[in-house]
Formats: sequence, structure tokens, C-alpha cells
Amino acid sequence: MNVILAVKQYVSKMIEGCGGGMKVLLMDKETTSIVSMVYAQSEILQKEVYLFERIDSPGRETMKHLNCIAFLRPTKENVELLAQELRIPKYGLYFIYFSNVISKQDVKILAEADDQEVVREVQEFYGDYIAVNPHLFSLNIVGCCQNLTWIPAHLSRTVQGLTSVLLSLKKCPMIRYQNSSEMARKLAESVRQVINKEAALFEFRKTDVAPVLLILDRRDDAVTPLLNQWTYQAMVHELLGINNNRINLANVPGITKDLQEVVLSAEHDEFYANNMYMNFGEIGSNIKELMEEFQKKSKSQAKVESIADMKAFVENYPQFKKMSGAVAKHVTVVGELSRLVGAHHLLEISETEQEIACQGDHSQLLQKIRSLLSSDKVRPVDMLRLVMLYALRYESHSNNDLSGLVEALRRRGVADEFRAMVQAILDYGGRKSRGSDLFGNQDPVAITKRLLKGLKGVENVYTQHKPLLQGVLDQLIKGKLKEATYPYLGTSQLKDRPQDVIVFIIGGCTYEEALAVHQLNRSTPGVRIVLGGTHVHNSKTFLQEVSQAVRGTLSVPHSR
Amino acid sequence: MAAPAEIIEGFLCPMCMTDFGTVTQLQHHFEDAHTSEDKAVFQQLKGFFDKAKKKIMGDKETNPFIEQGSSSAGESGQYGAALSGYDPAWWEPQELGASRSHLDLFKAIRGARVDHFVVETNKLLIRLDKLLSPDAPTDPKRRKAFEMSVVRWIPDREVPACLTCMKSFGLMTRRHHCRLCGGIICDKCSQFLSLSFAQKLVNPAFQFEGVGFLKRTNSNTSINSLVSVEGEQHMRVCKICRQLLERRDNMTEMRNTKPPIVQLYEKLKMCIQEAENVLPQYLPMVESLSQGESRYTYREAMILRTKLVKLYEAIDQLSKRIVQFGLNQDPPPNPKQIYLQKAIRIYASNFMQENLMGLQNMPTEEEVNQMQEKRKTEIQRKIAAERQAAMEAQERERVQREKELGAPLGASDSYPRMDHMASKALGHRRQESGGSVGRGWKPEGDSGQATRIADPMLQQIEIIRGYIRQAKQARKLDEVAMLEQNLRDLQLEYVRQSQSHNASS
Repeated sequence: MNVILAVKQYVSKMIEGCGGGMKVLLMDKETTSIVSMVYAQSEILQKEVYLFERIDSPGRETMKHLNCIAFLRPTKENVELLAQELRIPKYGLYFIYFSNVISKQDVKILAEADDQEVVREVQEFYGDYIAVNPHLFSLNIVGCCQNLTWIPAHLSRTVQGLTSVLLSLKKCPMIRYQNSSEMARKLAESVRQVINKEAALFEFRKTDVAPVLLILDRRDDAVTPLLNQWTYQAMVHELLGINNNRINLANVPGITKDLQEVVLSAEHDEFYANNMYMNFGEIGSNIKELMEEFQKKSKSQAKVESIADMKAFVENYPQFKKMSGAVAKHVTVVGELSRLVGAHHLLEISETEQEIACQGDHSQLLQKIRSLLSSDKVRPVDMLRLVMLYALRYESHSNNDLSGLVEALRRRGVADEFRAMVQAILDYGGRKSRGSDLFGNQDPVAITKRLLKGLKGVENVYTQHKPLLQGVLDQLIKGKLKEATYPYLGTSQLKDRPQDVIVFIIGGCTYEEALAVHQLNRSTPGVRIVLGGTHVHNSKTFLQEVSQAVRGTLSVPHSR
Repeated sequence: MAAPAEIIEGFLCPMCMTDFGTVTQLQHHFEDAHTSEDKAVFQQLKGFFDKAKKKIMGDKETNPFIEQGSSSAGESGQYGAALSGYDPAWWEPQELGASRSHLDLFKAIRGARVDHFVVETNKLLIRLDKLLSPDAPTDPKRRKAFEMSVVRWIPDREVPACLTCMKSFGLMTRRHHCRLCGGIICDKCSQFLSLSFAQKLVNPAFQFEGVGFLKRTNSNTSINSLVSVEGEQHMRVCKICRQLLERRDNMTEMRNTKPPIVQLYEKLKMCIQEAENVLPQYLPMVESLSQGESRYTYREAMILRTKLVKLYEAIDQLSKRIVQFGLNQDPPPNPKQIYLQKAIRIYASNFMQENLMGLQNMPTEEEVNQMQEKRKTEIQRKIAAERQAAMEAQERERVQREKELGAPLGASDSYPRMDHMASKALGHRRQESGGSVGRGWKPEGDSGQATRIADPMLQQIEIIRGYIRQAKQARKLDEVAMLEQNLRDLQLEYVRQSQSHNASS
């Protein structure tokens, strides 16, 4: 149940299967991302893979002394390109691996193109998804629906991605889906269809307790992606944006050239692996510790007090960069995070956000939001998010002053297009479209819990919010998840508590949810949960997703 | 009750308000110090403790941070390791995901196509072989008859137009026969296979350089088809036969030739493999030598070291040559080729960086000798010291016992002496074991526990037990076995003695 390992094992197997000698890895755009998430270039170099080529790049050189490993998605274009390649082979031998099920017809096209008998292997290796963390995968689709229904191309890609996850983990699951969501039902049925069609593929050793695939819809919890985050990974994604483990720092003031794009990969960066789930305060002190350790070594007496001092410190020690490029990288990233937090009043905003999401008195909150809306330092996008959260939370409150807030947005110069998002989020994730009790104000147990929490006081105002997913999974693990809201597809039902759970969120998941799943995995022995989504969202991409979903007219570029 | 914030920060006893470090300490304190208080109150408070405990433990993951950044720093280190990334030990080892091979289907489809080529090509090669045989006549007329006997020439009247370009034959467009398949083509469509290339096709060992096929323009007669204007012998073939022959040539060429870069690369790989084989032998040697052990001789290690150094030099040289390869050529190699060569160099230097470390800290021969010497004396000194200590203890014991027993001197006189002898024998035995222990592991004299026990025999037993413990920690299983044997002997001896002692007294 480790998706990174699953893909990595596939890639290792491909390389092994190719034997010794110099190798080239031939990929398409998507498989390039898939491989780059699990293998560092230096690591793959050790396996004699010296070249990386895109099958669609024109005018590749002929190098007969290389053996070629082709790892491709089984699309029409790829089959066509590969057939052309085989007619006039550029490399010595070809070992072909498709990332998903390929039709017999396409195999025939390739076989007929291979007059020179250069192909040595044709296999399906189901690494057809982006493995982000051991328990987290994504399909990198932003805007999977239009007019609140599936875009057919994205549905089929999602089905392919999800079935490949199942195959790579060797799981043939029972499927449960969110009853309130038509899209969830549709996806569940499509996955079931593939499992039935490829029944031979899905024949795995039976485990005592069948694995569960739970399909959810983002529309049930539109709050989580709108919140500011304070754990390292989530925060970096929210404020800087993580794209296939890469972070673009080109816009950071005074950045050096070699740090304009950095890679944060828990697989290859120990500091990141140890700190990705830590919150901001802890990371600051952890970095400080590391720096002090180095300072001791270099016998420098300069005190490192603030993050600004740290930056100066690093700049003064060029050899330090060589010694620990990773730390220089993290100091830069954390420095930039703290600059953004300070510059945009994010602490204050976050506190208000959390109060809207979790508890809070309406009139008091309204006051706070109004005062934040009048502040000069608050970014328009943050104002918009506050108003959107308010809209979701107090949708049916009797003293709702949404129009007043939208008007305030207008006065602050927020464009029409963005103000329209307030209505959009209500259409997307408002009360009518929700199947569960997002704010916990219907279920008496939830209300009592909330009251108690209010009485006890909050430990940390910035991380009070727990995503809806956590509660759902908690109930699922305990075998208490309601059948009415999350029915099984088909007749068979799970009698015991589930052990292996794959949960997929249509419309994308977030790193906050990834953290929640990580903690559940840690705290409940015997239970393994893998989380996936059409994308891993931050608030920016989530807004794209929402506007695409409701208006259905906005064209959103996505990474396919 | 204290404010909620204080509950989180300290573990206060509700009775005496002292602060305790942890929940368990507090609980122990409460149970110890306040159990005399009202039972009901106690039970109630205990329940509260359990709840509080759960809450505190459970909430650790959402530890307050920003305001308390510095205060939580120490704590974060404590459970930071536990929070770190992913620990593969949580989940069972994972097998390779599902896969499906289409190779059989692929081969079946390809085979059907390719077999046809192979059969045709083989036919052509057999004919070519006949045509090239030294007995073949060279006289043009007889030659033609011979050629027609090798393959049936299609009669002229059956073919009104060229089989490849469909141009109809006439006075201007004459008919020609492919010598390999007997098909009819026009002059324009004719290809000319040079005989030396044909030789090579038939016999791969044949050295050939030059152009395989010629395009002849100045002749339209078939009579002199054996000799071109340039004097190079050749034969007329059709396009299809040419393609088949070229395909075959490409494939044999692929199999049999290695470009120089590949040869260099293979040498590099051989060196790397050799180094990978030698390293695991060499590293333990260095380690053992630098600890002053004498399991390996200095010479052995030096030989391996020289071998490794030579290999590394070779790897360095080869990878440098690869990176430079063809750079001075005209035209220079394509960018991808240069990139490839660079990548190979990176691979080689990574390998060296990773493995060169162990090479540098080889001690000199003198140092090794010194260390071995030092170690020897150290061991001997320790053994001596132990014996000394044992003897002194015995002596003390005897004096003491004499004092205590006082009277029956004659009887007790023989018994300690026996004791003495037994311990001497033991000392000797231990010396043996000390000698074998001397390589790498050696029990440290631990007499703190032993001195308190009066009887020298018991003392010995205790010492041996200590050694066994240490040996177990150091995982020297063979020595553990030996020591245990010693221990058993000692115990037997002790029992025997005490029995005889009882009997005598």
C-alpha cells in the first residue's frame, strides 16, 4: 500500500529487464512526471540510464548503441509515434512498457511496424498515476467537471488512473461511494466495469478482509481547500505551489540563480521527509538547530536569531551551500514563507478562517471579516477566500450579510470575475450539494462535541480545523460509516472493519487531508489508507476547479 | 482547579499542587501519597487523570506552535522522529504490482510478417552464393545460361511493363532481369550489387569497405553486366531484392560491430565491476588492521589497495576518454551524444566518490605494527592484572578465613591451597580464551561486583558470568560457548569442593 514504492518497483523492473549496457528512457509527457516523482536523476544514472527522451520530441538522434526502454501511456498518438519509431529504429533494442491496458489492435499496429525485429518486450506496467507520497497520489487534472458533470475525457483518465492504482497495489476492492454525488456514482460504476472486463487481471490472492475503495466528491467539503495551511508541505503548496515536487522560487525577491526552482522530495531529501508534517514554528526551530550545529563546526560566533540572520549567514558561507545544499534550499523556502506570512497578515487571516470553519459567533466573525476587508495589507485573493468561507458557513443564517461583504469586496477593487466566485462556491459546495454534515450543526453528537470543544478552549487556533475526510475515514475504520450516505456498489458488503482503504476524492484532495490520512495510518495499527484525488489542490487551483465546474465555460489549462 | 492552559503545560497534583514531569509520575505520586484520602474522591480523580492523560497524549499531534514556538521546540525533537516521513516498517513488504505481457501476441504477429522476409532473404543468399562461386563461368554467353540456371528468368513476353515502375517496355525501355529473383525490370529501376559487397553478404568474415549498391547510368545493355565502367564487378538486381539484402546486412552489422564508444564503455564497466568485487574484501581488512588485529597481514591489504587504486585510475581515465570522445572530430558528435558521454562521466565519478572514501585511511605498516604490538601488551597486561587481582583476593580471603576460623589450621590449610590450584588452572584457561578473544573483542575487567563475594570460587564464577554477558553483547558467540564451558567446569568444581569441605568440616 505504498504508491511511491509501487511505481518505483515498476521502473526498477523495467531497467533490470533491459540488461546491461547504456540505456535511454523514452517517455511521454505524463510518464515523464510519473517517473520523476519516484526516481531522482542521479539515482537512475546509477542504473546506466544515461538519456531521457520524449517520444514526441522531433528530430531525435539515431544512437544504435543504446537500448531503449519505452514507458508510455497507451494513447493513440503514442502508439502511432512508436510505430513510426519502430519502422526506422533510432536505438538498438526496444523494451516497451505501457502504463495501462492496451488493446490487441494497438499491439498489432506495433508488431507490424517492427520489421527490423528490434522489440524485445511488450508489457503493461500499471504505473499510470502520479505518486506524491507513499500514501498519496494524484492524476494532475485540474477541472475534472463541467456544468457539475464529468468531462468524458477526464472521466476516462480518472478511471484509468484509479484502476492502475488498484492493479499496482494488487487490490480488487469493494467499492463505496458518496451517495449525494452523481459523479461519484458514475466513477464507481466505471471502475467496476473495468474490473469486470479485465477480471483476469484483478485476480489476486484473497485477503481475509477485502480492501475498500471509497469514492468521495470534493463538493461535500469545499471548506478544506480554502484554508491557509501551517504544516510545511501544505504551506509550501498553498503559498508557493508544488508541481510534481518542484517549487518555483523565481518570484522570490533577491533569489540566486541556482535556487530559482527547487525540488522537494521526501524520498530524496531527509530534512524534508522529517519536517513535511511539522508545523511552521517547529520547522523554524529545526532549521535553526541545523544552522547552529553547522556554526559550531565552522567556529563562528555570529548569532543566528531571526530568519533574516539565517539568510545572511548562508550567504556568507559559500562552502555551506556545497556542504548542505538541502539546508540552503530549506532556509530559502522557509524564509520566503515567513516573508509572505508577515507581508499578508496570514496569521490573522488564518485565525479568522479557522474560526469560521470550526466555531465562532456570527456577529463577532462578521466584525472580524469586515475589519480584515478594510486592511490594506490583505491580498484580494485572501479577502475573497474569507468571504467564500463565510458564504459556505452562514449560507442559511438569519442575519447573513453576504451581499454586504460582496459589496465590500467590490469597493476594495476585487474584479467581477472573482466576486462571481462567491456564488460559484455556493453552487459548487453549498448546502444543497452536500450529502453530509460539514459544519456539524445537525447531528446532536457533533453539536455536543463542538460545545465541549468551545468550553475546553482550543490548543492551537491555527490548526483547529479537521477536514471532513478525517471523520469519514474514522467512521469507516470503526465500521460505523452509514450505508445510506456511503452505499456499496453491488450487493456484497464488508462485515469486518476494513484494513486496506483507498480513498479517492473527485475534484481533488489537499495536503491537509494527506496529513490527516498520515496521522490515521500512524495511529491505527493494522489499517492502511491511501489517499488520491484528481489533483492535489491549493486554494488557487481549487478556485480554478470550482469556476470550471460551475460555469463550464472557462477553459482551464491542465497538465495533460 | 487550575486554568486549562496550565493543565496542558504541567502535571499538577490536585491535592498538593506539586508539578510532576509526566502523567505516569503524577499518577504514581498520587497513588503513593494520597491514597489515605477519601476513596471516592480518589476514584473520581483517577478517572479524571485517565481522561486527561488520553487528552494530553491524543492532542500532542496538534501541539500549539506559533505562540509557543520556542517552548515546544524541545518537545518537538522528542516526538519529531516519530512524526517524520514514512516508515516502511509500518506496512508489510510490497511485491511488484500486477503486470501483463503482450510479447507473445506481438511476436506472433511480427513473426508472420518477418518469416516471409527471412525465407525470401535466405533464397536470395543461396542464389548469390551460387553466382559467386569460383566455378561460375565468366564468359558472357555461358554466364547468362548459368545465371538462368540459378533462378528461372521470367520470359520476356509474360511481362509487358516494368514490375516496379509499371512503364511499358518497348524500343526505348528495354527489359532487364534481376539476377537474384529472375523478375523483369527496366533499366531505371535496376540496382547494381557490387560483387565484393555480395561476398560480404554471403560470408560475414569478408572484409568490405565501400558502397554496396551502385547506380549505373551509361549502359543499357545486359551483356556486360559483370563489369562496370569503373572496373568494379557488380550484378543487376531489383529494388525488392536490394531492400531484403540491405535489411539483412543491417542486422548482422548490428550484431557484429561495436562502435568505439561502446568498447570504451564496456571496459569502464568491467573496471567498475572488478572494483565492486574487490571492495568488500578490502574494507574489512582495513578495519581489522587499523584496530591492531592480526587476522590479515599488511601485505595482503596493500596488494588489494594497489589493485583498487589502479582500477580507480583506469575508471577515471576511461570515463575522461569517454567524455572527450569525438569532440575534436569533424563534424563534432551531436548534442545528445555529448550529453550521453557526460552522463557516463557523472556516473563514473559518482561511483568513485562513493567508494573512494574507504581507501584513504589505510594506516602505514609501522602504525599497524605498533598497534598490533600495543594491543598484544595491552591484552597481556590485562590478563596479568586479572590474575593478580584474583590472587590477591584469594590471599585476602585466606587471611580472613584463617582469622575467623582461627583454630583448625591443619585442616583448613590444605583446602585453600587446593583452591589456589584450581584458580590457577582457571587462570590458565582464561588466558587461552583471552588469546582468541584478542582479535577484535575483549572483555573488560569488571571486578566491582565480584569483589563483594567472599568465596574466591564464587568470585571466579561471577567474573566468568560477567565475561559471558559482555561476549553476548559483542555477539562473539563462539567465545560465549567457550566461556560457558568454563563456567560449567567451575560450578562443578565448586560443588565438589563445597561437598568435600562440608565432609571435612
